[in-house]
Amino acid sequence: MKRFYLIGFLCLMASDTLAQICFKLAGAAAEPLEFGLNWVLRIVASPWSYGALFGYLCSFVSWMTLLRYAPIGPAFAASHLELVSVTILSVWLFHEPLTLFKVAGGLLIVLGVLCLAKDESAGAAGKEHDRDGARSANPA
Amino acid sequence: MTALAVTLWLLNMSMDTFGHLAFKAAAAHGLDLDALSHWKHMARRPWLWAGVLCYLGEFFVWAAFLSQVPLAAGVMLGSINIVVLMIAGRLMFKERLTPWRVAGIVLITAGVMLVGLGV
Repeated sequence: MKRFYLIGFLCLMASDTLAQICFKLAGAAAEPLEFGLNWVLRIVASPWSYGALFGYLCSFVSWMTLLRYAPIGPAFAASHLELVSVTILSVWLFHEPLTLFKVAGGLLIVLGVLCLAKDESAGAAGKEHDRDGARSANPA
Repeated sequence: MTALAVTLWLLNMSMDTFGHLAFKAAAAHGLDLDALSHWKHMARRPWLWAGVLCYLGEFFVWAAFLSQVPLAAGVMLGSINIVVLMIAGRLMFKERLTPWRVAGIVLITAGVMLVGLGV
């Protein structure tokens, strides 16, 4: 089961990362940015857009597969951790500088996501209470 | 960030939030239906389609936004959607803001502000 989680999380992270990198490349391929049909058509014509779609599709399938077994809290956190892989890859692929603002801001965001994940895991036990409460308050 | 990037960021935030709320409104009809009737019911009402439309538009807005900012910063700035959606869920669906959620909101918002300052 541990291996299932690990592979599932890695698939999720990989497909989200792929989608974001493809989005960036699609946007770059369609430049210059202008508000009109021409720009939209350039996006539609770029193969990278379909890479992004494919990434989203894989991400959706991994997420739904993962959710069948994985607890929602850790799964929620993992679903947002592509932030880390995207940042690392952006340095390598796009030569984006790793500034102090980015590192510190990214760390805070990851911490925040972990807090939300913690809440989801804690809430999973309390959900029954919510539901019973709702039912007794509203017998219909 | 340029004014254009901020505009695209706000547009993405609104469309993402509205899309999620629309899907929630579509799915939470409160009727006890089997799977097929559930989908039929949702397909007959506008919420599902409003959500689909938002997501479709968001695809282009996100590509436009990422063409204006570095990728890593763009993805980090996009995390604000989590915060906005949670606050919207509180307002629209009376979802609870537990202490952990408030902590998450504060940390993510601070992180997004830091990243935004650096772009």
